[in-house]
Amino acid sequence: MESYQLPHFPAHLSYVHAVLFTDVSDADLLRMRLITASTAEGIDGERERDALNFAFIEARLITSAAHLKAAIYQAALADAQGCLRTKTVHSEIIYALNPTHNISEAMRRYGVSDATTALIVVRVTGPELSAEEVKRAMHAVVMGTSTPFAELRNVTDWAAVKKYHKLANETAVRGAQGDLHREHAVIDEIVISSTAMKSVMA
Amino acid sequence: MPGRVCKDPLKNPDRPYLALGLEGSANKFGAGVIKHSEDGSTAVLSNIRHTYVTPPGEGFQPRDTALHHREWALKVINDCLAQANVSIRDVDCICYTKGPGMGAPLQSVALVARTLSLLFNKPLVGVNHCVGHIEMGREITGAQNPVVLYVSGGNTQVIAYSQQCYRIFGETLDIAVGNCLDRFARVIGLSNDPAPGYNIEQEAKRGKRLLSLPYATKGMDVSFSGILTATEAYTVDKRFRVDGQPRDPNNEDFITPADLCFSLQETVFAMLVEITERAMAHIGSKEVLIVGGVGSNERLQEMMGIMAQERGGRVFATDERFCIDNGIMIAQAGLLSFRMGFETPLAKSTCTQRFRTDQVHVSWRA
Amino acid sequence: MSSPSLALISSSTLIAQGAEAKVYKAHLTSNHLEPPVVLKHRFQKGYRHPTLDGSLTRARVAGEARALMKCLRSGVNVPGLRMVDATEGVLGIEWIEGRSVRRLLPAGSNEDEGEPDSEEKPEREAADALQEYGISVEVLMQLIGEEIAKMHLADVIHGDLTTSNMMLRHPTSFNSRNPNLSTELVLIDFGLSYQSSLVEDKAVDLYVLERAFSSTHPESEPLFATVLKAYEQQMGKDWVIISRRLDDGLLCLHARYLLGTNCSYFSASARSQA
Repeated sequence: MESYQLPHFPAHLSYVHAVLFTDVSDADLLRMRLITASTAEGIDGERERDALNFAFIEARLITSAAHLKAAIYQAALADAQGCLRTKTVHSEIIYALNPTHNISEAMRRYGVSDATTALIVVRVTGPELSAEEVKRAMHAVVMGTSTPFAELRNVTDWAAVKKYHKLANETAVRGAQGDLHREHAVIDEIVISSTAMKSVMA
Repeated sequence: MPGRVCKDPLKNPDRPYLALGLEGSANKFGAGVIKHSEDGSTAVLSNIRHTYVTPPGEGFQPRDTALHHREWALKVINDCLAQANVSIRDVDCICYTKGPGMGAPLQSVALVARTLSLLFNKPLVGVNHCVGHIEMGREITGAQNPVVLYVSGGNTQVIAYSQQCYRIFGETLDIAVGNCLDRFARVIGLSNDPAPGYNIEQEAKRGKRLLSLPYATKGMDVSFSGILTATEAYTVDKRFRVDGQPRDPNNEDFITPADLCFSLQETVFAMLVEITERAMAHIGSKEVLIVGGVGSNERLQEMMGIMAQERGGRVFATDERFCIDNGIMIAQAGLLSFRMGFETPLAKSTCTQRFRTDQVHVSWRA
Repeated sequence: MSSPSLALISSSTLIAQGAEAKVYKAHLTSNHLEPPVVLKHRFQKGYRHPTLDGSLTRARVAGEARALMKCLRSGVNVPGLRMVDATEGVLGIEWIEGRSVRRLLPAGSNEDEGEPDSEEKPEREAADALQEYGISVEVLMQLIGEEIAKMHLADVIHGDLTTSNMMLRHPTSFNSRNPNLSTELVLIDFGLSYQSSLVEDKAVDLYVLERAFSSTHPESEPLFATVLKAYEQQMGKDWVIISRRLDDGLLCLHARYLLGTNCSYFSASARSQA
């Protein structure tokens, strides 16, 4: 698990915990659980939503840890400034990752789907929750292998990233001339930057 | 070069010098007498002006303005000499506005100057109107080497001195800021007395809502015509109330003429202060001098003052006697170049509608 | 409401200040092992009506971010974006480890303001510095020409091309894929940039750089031909029209406000006043 702080943010947004899960086997069940929890009533509903209070992100669309962090930063900023486009800071991370302003498209693409096998789980919270507690809570809801973020590059689906960010015919990408290592570096930089600037996107 | 002191090439005069200045490039006819003494001091002996005021909603036409100047020239000049208590025989030179300005009014004043020159055998000095504003502003405020914002009905320029030239850093790409304000004053029927810009300023004090207008700076240049069009467009908006009162007392969403004057001023002045600041940052100057008719606007002076203060500098401005076109500034700039040996021979005593500030050789400064 | 961006700025190090913005070196997270970022803060202007100030600042931050994005997508070497807070007027961009071209070229004798380490033997030091980056002055000129051409082909006009607004990445912090080149030229500070496909605008951009060269690096001036040559090769057919405009004296007028023409005079006269 990777944990870090955003020391300049209000306390409740200042701790970030993230885990990359590979070999995820229960994505379909998790998705169903999320749908049910969103409408569940009463104290049980509250408890269920609390247990699922994470951002569940389709890992194959994430190009690097920096990409993920850019989305988390912008989502936390939107929350701190009272201008969330979605309900919570966690759904805002998923919104921030998608290059368009379409919220349901963002959830469909960057959220968990039945076909998901690699998943990034993020919790933005305050200092009152220990990293251990968060880790336990994450493992309680996801069946998969916790993997270092350095392995992300083996998970990324570059073709899908290129498609969603409309990069196939971009001069910068063609400039790599088939050098895959170079091409991925170029795509990563563009994706990080467009995530960081989404709030002022043309 | 370290340690080198740059001294102005202009020496103190060996005797007092007197100059008569005549100005009439727009709708004011002005005459003034200035005196430069042996100790290097300068005295304004008189400064008289008569303004051609048109009815509300109307601008001044070149032909009628020239007529006004011809009608008033002798009276204003006589009053000016009487107040200065000098005879025209005592003056050393007659200075007149060579340009820039409106053709017909410039010509009528040049004609008066030429006639006086021939009658009393006095040398003529043709003066650039903008340089007149700058030199008078420097003289009155004591600003040493300021960035100059020159704003009037006909000109909008950010100027800085370098190597015997007033270089233009930024300017309007279309109409002058004063023209923009005056024309809007006419659209909403404000009086031209004493000046449309003055009445906009008073009206703006009662404005509350800042309406969105285009903000047009490009590098160090500005543009005002689009802003004028956009402000005019609000006057045909459903929410616009000419009388400033809502149609229905519970309706808060309405626009008054005062709101428009306020929004227009806030927007165009912000643009001017911004390009002035950019010029100051570029040359590392902390002084700014505002000259020209719009320079008498207190809101502009206030905004410029805040900017200068934030930069640890200061703003210099003059009041309406010297800001608004006048004869004394022509006398001042004319006498400076006359003392450097400059004269305009009769055969070349023309005037010109286009005469850029940076075309003048500023021989009297280092 | 508390502002994370202002808190971030107050814990950062100021590295430069201009008329419009202050520039800081900062860390977005608690992990200081991650690379730092450059923060550009367009601070509030007290003279402007707050509503007007807010909307202008937002528009300008957005404009600069979009220009950088357009360059990135078009393969122009520019710093990447790391965070944007248009409400507070803050732009966070990639920290480039390296040096500005201005400090890598020999400076003119009287143009050493704000460059404390160029006091002694500026030329020698500049030459040594370039060696550290593993390239010759000629190659540096080529890189400049190529990068500007790539930017112009993307219809981005920089608006303030000077040697201070170009950097070389330091070889130790840069993974080059070209075995003959251990560095990369990066264009920075797009605060005055805009989008335009007009030949006129591109020519003015180049003209401003030419003037900046001759005033800041008089000895390198002949090398500007190399910049133009590389620019020409990269530009292709558009070059003919641009070069015609560049030869046209009228450009001076349009470029006047950018002051390539005047800055040496002004700094000289400002000093003699002081």
